[in-house]
Amino acid sequence: MSTDTHPGAGTAAPSALLDIRDLHVKVAGQEVLRGVSLAVGAGEVHAIMGPNGSGKSTLAHVLAGRPGYEIVSGTASFEGRDLLALTPEQRARAGLFLGFQYPVEIPGVNNAYLLKAAVNAARRERGVAELDAFEFLAVVRAKIKLMQIDESFLSRGVNEGFSGGEKKRNEILQMLVLEPKLALLDETDSGLDIDALKVVAHGINTMRAAERAIVLVTHYQRMLDYVVPDYVHVLARGRIARSGDRTLALELEKRGYDWISEQAAA
Amino acid sequence: MATPTTTHRSGIVDRIMRDYDAVAARLPDAAVTRAARGRSMHELARLGWPTTRDEQWRYTNLRAFERVAEFAPRVLTPASGDTAALELPPALPGFERLLYIDGVRDVAAARAPTRDTIVPETVWSAEQRLGLLCDMFATDVASLRIRGSSAIEVLFVTSAAAAGAACYPRLQLALEPGSQLQLVERHLGAPEIPTLVCANVAIELGRGAQLTHYRLQQCGVHTVFADTLSAQLTDEASYSVRQVAIGAASARTSAQVQLAGRGAAFSWQAIAVGRAQQVHDTALKVEHRAPDTRTDEVFRGIADEHARIAFSGHIHIAAAAPGADARQSLRGLIEGAGAEIDLRPRLEINTDQVKAQHGATTGALDENLMFYLLARGIDRSTARALLKWAFLGDVLRAIELPQLRSAAEHGAAGQLPDIMAIGALT
Repeated sequence: MSTDTHPGAGTAAPSALLDIRDLHVKVAGQEVLRGVSLAVGAGEVHAIMGPNGSGKSTLAHVLAGRPGYEIVSGTASFEGRDLLALTPEQRARAGLFLGFQYPVEIPGVNNAYLLKAAVNAARRERGVAELDAFEFLAVVRAKIKLMQIDESFLSRGVNEGFSGGEKKRNEILQMLVLEPKLALLDETDSGLDIDALKVVAHGINTMRAAERAIVLVTHYQRMLDYVVPDYVHVLARGRIARSGDRTLALELEKRGYDWISEQAAA
Repeated sequence: MATPTTTHRSGIVDRIMRDYDAVAARLPDAAVTRAARGRSMHELARLGWPTTRDEQWRYTNLRAFERVAEFAPRVLTPASGDTAALELPPALPGFERLLYIDGVRDVAAARAPTRDTIVPETVWSAEQRLGLLCDMFATDVASLRIRGSSAIEVLFVTSAAAAGAACYPRLQLALEPGSQLQLVERHLGAPEIPTLVCANVAIELGRGAQLTHYRLQQCGVHTVFADTLSAQLTDEASYSVRQVAIGAASARTSAQVQLAGRGAAFSWQAIAVGRAQQVHDTALKVEHRAPDTRTDEVFRGIADEHARIAFSGHIHIAAAAPGADARQSLRGLIEGAGAEIDLRPRLEINTDQVKAQHGATTGALDENLMFYLLARGIDRSTARALLKWAFLGDVLRAIELPQLRSAAEHGAAGQLPDIMAIGALT
């Protein structure tokens, strides 16, 4: 890992799956990301931590293509492609997955329909034959079991009437079914009790693979007891202020974020 | 009958009077008595033709009514029974079908409805004055007294024979205490026939009676449609309306529901989907006159292209209705650059002991929902279609008869071609 010219880099930039360089982003005229650089290689798990308002969720949403953000300068590439030039749906089909902190409810669109449409959109992109109803069910059933979700949920509206924990499990289920190359999980641990956290963490761990990268955006370190990251980065005042291994997360647990925020302000 | 003098005469009222005079002698007493027709004519003359300056008519396409060439019905005698050319929908399992073609009962129908007047003459308010047209010109009536449990489908079909003229479907229902009825009221018409369809529905629910009333308006795109509904509920009666309005060039629904008995409950779940230059306008007034009465009102409208959709929901809770519970949820989705939606919730409360809530929102598709779907790789046009479908979902799912729900879904989706393309229909 190099931190000299490319702070926050996990692996050497040329082989990085995700390569962010000096990214500046404004929201409503306010600069929220102020020069983020980060490289994430295939097979790696990164945790991005930081105090509230540090820009963690902004970074995840900018990478997924949410409208409402102004890219002031900098670059982000995904497998060598200019990520910021792609539409949100193109990013998803290219293999980027955003797990939402607050998954929306869409009554009237059932989970099975959404999942199947999403899977087949990605397969079309890859030039692979689409799954028919039977093939899709076979795929999804195994994953549902893993996430300890009742199969009846498939015929329910997307997240309709789900508890906070069920919504998060559904996000991970979607990730398992879609098998992305890069998963950005935005505070997936928030609002989970310990049992749900273990289920969610188990789901995430099953996704660890040599060809896949996972970026966990989290405020607390407790998730990292179950999904052990290779790298930990602290975002403060719109920049990656410090990077390290999982011991950094443990240090943050003891000391809080103030000392890093103060350093970032200096 | 001589045309009455009036202080509110307008060109269209004069034409209506002339058309009435020309046909009055041939209109059947069995549908409406001559005396009652005359009273309606005088009432229309007294009230005059509505104008868009009236709040309750502001969004109605009155010009469409004023352009109607002929108010007199052309078909006065029972139809031949030759229904092969009409492309009727398949029968609903377990439902008895009554068929009215151009406002007159098909003689081949399985059951001859009762002929006695079972619902007293309805006194229409000013905002329901189009009901007077049907009272004047009606050629037949489906008049039903329900005991026990029944399931009835009433099809009102407009045929080529009514082209350029008018027809007046008429339905009167009296539910005996404790009875139950599932009623399907469906208005259908060939797409290329310009016609005025002016329907009246009058309903009385006895103590504890339960009525589920499915209403599908699928008239042809050149039809000018008006329906005027009056319902009276006594103690513990329950009335649920599921309405889908997708047809006609211009449509106006004027409905008044009186919750006159303790514990009476009313539910109205309706969608209107308009495209091109269609205008759909609904004025619904609910009066809570007794304690512990309930209203649950849901409206979802989508206006595409240059369509205009309006819904006025007025709930009046009288001082004599403590314990009333009234909810309104009105939502509109503007899809076309030239489209318009006007939602007007109104709660008028005259007692302290009530639960009441209302909400009305109009706008475009929710960007948060859109981004969620896009972030799953769904393309933008599919995402839009899915969200439109979801928008209508509450009401469509409330149609519990699978065959009818499917017909309503396909009808609604037919108004929104992108929904047809995504194959989300059940």
